[in-house]
Amino acid sequence: MAREMPHATGKVPPGDVTQRVGIEVMEARGVNVEELREKLIDAIAAEFASTYYYYTILRMYLAGHEDYKEICEDARLEDRAHFELMTPRVYELGGSLPYNLHEFADRAGCPHAYLPGTDNGQHAPEMGDGKGPSAADILEVLLDSERCAIRTWSEICDLTAGGKDPRTYDLASRILNEEIEHEAWFIELLSMERDGVVRPSGHFRRGEPGEAPYSKNRPLYNP
Amino acid sequence: MAEKTFTVKVEFPEGGEETFEAGAGEYILGAARRAGLQLPSLCEQGWDLACAVKIVEGEVDQSDSRRYFEEDRKCGFALICTGKACSDLVIVPYQSKQMRKCRDEHGLPAPRGT
Ligand SMILES: [Fe+2]
Ligand SMILES: [Fe+2]
Repeated sequence: MAREMPHATGKVPPGDVTQRVGIEVMEARGVNVEELREKLIDAIAAEFASTYYYYTILRMYLAGHEDYKEICEDARLEDRAHFELMTPRVYELGGSLPYNLHEFADRAGCPHAYLPGTDNGQHAPEMGDGKGPSAADILEVLLDSERCAIRTWSEICDLTAGGKDPRTYDLASRILNEEIEHEAWFIELLSMERDGVVRPSGHFRRGEPGEAPYSKNRPLYNP
Repeated sequence: MAEKTFTVKVEFPEGGEETFEAGAGEYILGAARRAGLQLPSLCEQGWDLACAVKIVEGEVDQSDSRRYFEEDRKCGFALICTGKACSDLVIVPYQSKQMRKCRDEHGLPAPRGT
């Protein structure tokens, strides 16, 4: 019997620009392209609207913890890189960003990382006299956010693994690499800040803020 | 004193059922996993709808969930990743699309991919 040849099952005629072989080959391998695309939009909405945007605010309130601010900055900029890395894939799969930013933020697959003490972003936090969000409170929000990101990109990897969609798998697994690092950073910082316990991330510093060694096409920091 | 526990009966949409015990203070999804029952979930913070169930009978406390609306309850849906049983329960899993429909009908936000 002839070997299985999913690449040779397509029906797109030469010169037809209304269909994509890049999608056809995924369908031939059993990917539900529309469902995957919708999940990708939820996932990049989370990167952009749940983390990148809200981490900007969280970082502002880590005043006095310059080391935490640096780490938060790396995570913040890398989440923006994740949005940038996966957005083109949405278009390749026949989708688009929502034409309204509110709609985009609303569909994020992970919770918005609101600043503690703001009633989920309803108002500014009360400050002064030891009031205001503590570093530990902020680190908890950051840690929970990274955990949702890990679950999200792991699911995308599961849906595309095993040769079903090598391109999305490659992009998602690069993002996942960094999300796993982000979790380790915030475990290390929160564990010491809140519980006084050393739990090393085991990582060396980024070469520059938001270097994104996996999700930007630059060499790894490996001196 | 031992924590109060409730019996959770899961009725699968394609037929079949499973039963497990859930403590009053624990999340229903965690109790299901401890009992060896695999149910879907994604964020596990009570935000997305992957873990949505229809409540056939009983009451669920969603106060730990990051985004749960009164309308969700009125439509009869729970997010078990961060929901605690307040009584014995009968639930139907794999209800994310149905729960999203309820959100859409009330003009409320929801992820579109689960
Ligand atoms: Fe990210
Ligand atoms: Fe991250």
